[in-house]
Amino acid sequence: MARAVARVVARVVARGVWRLLRLAGLAALTVAFAPVTLVAAGTAAAGWWRGWPPRRLYAAAAWCLPMAAVWLLAIACWPGNDSRWPGNSGRWPDAGGRWPPGLGAGPAWQRVVAAPYRAWLAMWQLGAHGHVAAAAVAVAAPAIPLGILLGARAWAIRLHRMETGSGGRSPAAPARFDARLWRRQVRSAKALMSAPAALPVLSPNGAILTGATIRTVRHRAGRAAAIPYERLRSHQVVIGTTGTGKTTLLLRLWAGFMAGGLRRYAAGAAGRPLLVVLDCKGGASSRKVADRARRVLRDAGARSTAIWPDEAALSLWSLPPDRLVTTLLDLIEHGTGGAAYYTDVMETLVALAVTAPCGPPAGAADFQSRLDADWLLMAYAGRPPAPVAHSRQAIADVALRFSALWRRLGPGLDGTGTFDDADCWYCVLEGTAEPSVAEAQARALTDLLASYAVLGGREILLAVDEFSAVARRLPIWRLYERARSLGLAIQVSAQSWEGLAGTEDERNRVAATAEGGIWLLRTPRPEPVADLAGGRVLVDTSRRLAAAGTWEAAGSSRQVRVPVLDGDLVRRLDVGQVAYIYRGGVTYVQVKRLVGTQAALAAVSVPAGAEVAGRVAGADAVADTVPLPRVGTGPAGAGPAGAAPVPPDAGEVLDAAFGARRG
Amino acid sequence: MPVRAERPRRPRRPGLAVRDAPALIFAADMYGVQLDQLAALTGDDKSAKAAAARWKTLGYAATARLGPGPPWLWATRAGLMACGLRYAAAPPALSRLAHIRAVAACRLALESTAGYGAARAFWRAERRIRARHGVGVRQHLPDGEVHWPDTADVAWAGECWAVEAELTPKTVARTAAIMREILTRTGDYGCPAAEAAVPGRPPRHARALYVCSPAALPTVLRARAELGPLAARVDVRDLPADAHLPDVV
Repeated sequence: MARAVARVVARVVARGVWRLLRLAGLAALTVAFAPVTLVAAGTAAAGWWRGWPPRRLYAAAAWCLPMAAVWLLAIACWPGNDSRWPGNSGRWPDAGGRWPPGLGAGPAWQRVVAAPYRAWLAMWQLGAHGHVAAAAVAVAAPAIPLGILLGARAWAIRLHRMETGSGGRSPAAPARFDARLWRRQVRSAKALMSAPAALPVLSPNGAILTGATIRTVRHRAGRAAAIPYERLRSHQVVIGTTGTGKTTLLLRLWAGFMAGGLRRYAAGAAGRPLLVVLDCKGGASSRKVADRARRVLRDAGARSTAIWPDEAALSLWSLPPDRLVTTLLDLIEHGTGGAAYYTDVMETLVALAVTAPCGPPAGAADFQSRLDADWLLMAYAGRPPAPVAHSRQAIADVALRFSALWRRLGPGLDGTGTFDDADCWYCVLEGTAEPSVAEAQARALTDLLASYAVLGGREILLAVDEFSAVARRLPIWRLYERARSLGLAIQVSAQSWEGLAGTEDERNRVAATAEGGIWLLRTPRPEPVADLAGGRVLVDTSRRLAAAGTWEAAGSSRQVRVPVLDGDLVRRLDVGQVAYIYRGGVTYVQVKRLVGTQAALAAVSVPAGAEVAGRVAGADAVADTVPLPRVGTGPAGAGPAGAAPVPPDAGEVLDAAFGARRG
Repeated sequence: MPVRAERPRRPRRPGLAVRDAPALIFAADMYGVQLDQLAALTGDDKSAKAAAARWKTLGYAATARLGPGPPWLWATRAGLMACGLRYAAAPPALSRLAHIRAVAACRLALESTAGYGAARAFWRAERRIRARHGVGVRQHLPDGEVHWPDTADVAWAGECWAVEAELTPKTVARTAAIMREILTRTGDYGCPAAEAAVPGRPPRHARALYVCSPAALPTVLRARAELGPLAARVDVRDLPADAHLPDVV
């Protein structure tokens, strides 16, 4: 018994001694290589304090290598005591046999190999004589890169241990570590954003900077969160509840699209960019956002931003006749079952009115006047179509429905403008106050845009904000499928996953075709998006409980598959923080807010008889917008159809001052 | 013999300090003028030299021979304060002497016409525009604006013209871009960026007046031809004969 106890005591003592010896050895090494130790400790501390990824520290070590290379080259080329070198009279070593720090006798290769040791030796010698600064300089070249490398490695090991659950004193330590690391990473990102002139809209290589990177998972970790311009030429989805910074993110993306597109346009690499925003919320808040968008886009280079329908109007009647018939029918809701008969009647009558021999209608009033049996009989004189002669009541019913439609839609689709007239069209749809009107308007605008995109020549981004308001009658996934071939990219934003579309199937379609990535702000249910983001393999470690509140270092590890997107983290995201999901990786970004110069919305000229409230005016009212100028030709003022007014002849003054007019 | 005590002499004062105040304001607005141009404002060479001497005595102006031809005169800080102008006092930049003279010549030529005087039009100089313009905002500023009052008895009453004096040719593309920017601008200089060119608003400049040297004329005409419908609002004229520096033809 006593022998067994003695054996246990001996084992414990031996283990203690061994540990002490190890610690003493480590301390001796730490002191002996003090410069490297100091730099490594500083590096690891910097990585911890700023929450930097180890890759960044490794890169810092790599950037120090030129310094070390130059130092070694200088040592290799040092003249030594070779008097053949110009200007060298063989004064090294000096009379006392001393060399400069880091140098010594021997051929070049031997000097290079021995340089770190000699520098280390010189450091101690200089330090012993009180020359601390000289000692630091003597050892800096080898110590700094090595120290940074070791510090980065130590920080990487620490991160890995915490990620796998094998670090810390208790199993709960990794979770606490991660929460603290997130806070420090957010602080670093905010510090980067607050630097003057940091994070412009475009990087020098043309990528779009959205903000500062907080953390990345299976994405490249850079300080600035940059996405190539081509991502915005693909479909994207933005999900975030109100007040999470969605509008700030969207403005940033739109400004990036405009700036990047204009740069490519200037280089002759692409057509002029066109941004079309369908803000389906409506009301005063949408108009405030429109004002912000105009200012931000102006700063990004957009020459003109048209706000529809407040300041500009589009012409629905510029659609090709066959397309116009379809669009007109889509604007009106139809029943199913027995009501399909009336749909067919309406389609026939609308087709007759649009494709009349005298040409398509020029406006809503013109179209309305054609929904008349006598007009149709007169237009088709000689070969009157059968439905006209027998369906006077049906014609009157169809006319009534369209009359109500024009009254509800307002003058926004009955103007003279086209998408060609501005760099950005910000369309405010009253999706909150009048959802059915907004749905019809959205349908008409997307049809117009698709028709315009067919012409080619411009790179178009269609951004649909608050998509849920119009999702019922705007099957945007249909547009998705043919948009790329038309040079049209679509960006859909909604407050939640459920707001993306009416059914789960459509939601999956919209999200699955978002080749440009998904932007996820704080949302209470990120799981569907997390499923789409994919997973990754992680090591999960369990720890053995030794006693109450203490755990042993021993345990077991296993591979587990976890989602790339941390749903809990998404639920905790602060305002302005967003997770960008792309190709199985996630980048958490602190979005930098763009502030445009202060401006007000242009004054709206309201014609007599038009109702301002709700932007609803009578179908036969004059459009309350001034026609827009064509891009590059300037504002038209009050001139008709964008033509610039010719100023009166001022020859009597100019001729007297400067002589005859030239050209 | 009674000796009459001599009256102490009062120090001679300049009298009416600024007899040609509009000329001093002109010089301040245009960065500086040469004395021959000042003579056109004051009436003749003699009165111009007298005005310059008086302003120098008062500290309102400084003169120097900066380049070929007559000396240049510019307003000092005290002169600018006297005129109520908040410009930074500095002599005309040597690199811009030719351009400054050309613009001043344009202004003199326009202001000398009967129609200009009758309409009581106003020349808003580039220096005045720049003083209101925000620092750091890169936009092209015209060499001057001519504002015609609404009450003027001319067909173009209420218009604002942009005046550009072109001495040396730029590229056609650059010139066309400047013309387009001038003609599409809707806001005043110094306004928020978003109001600079707002669709639907009337343009700020009803027309652009290009006053060109023979060297720049072909480029300006080609640039105007590229504007399309906007070309109708660009008026191209020759620089006055005395717009060039004496040894520059």
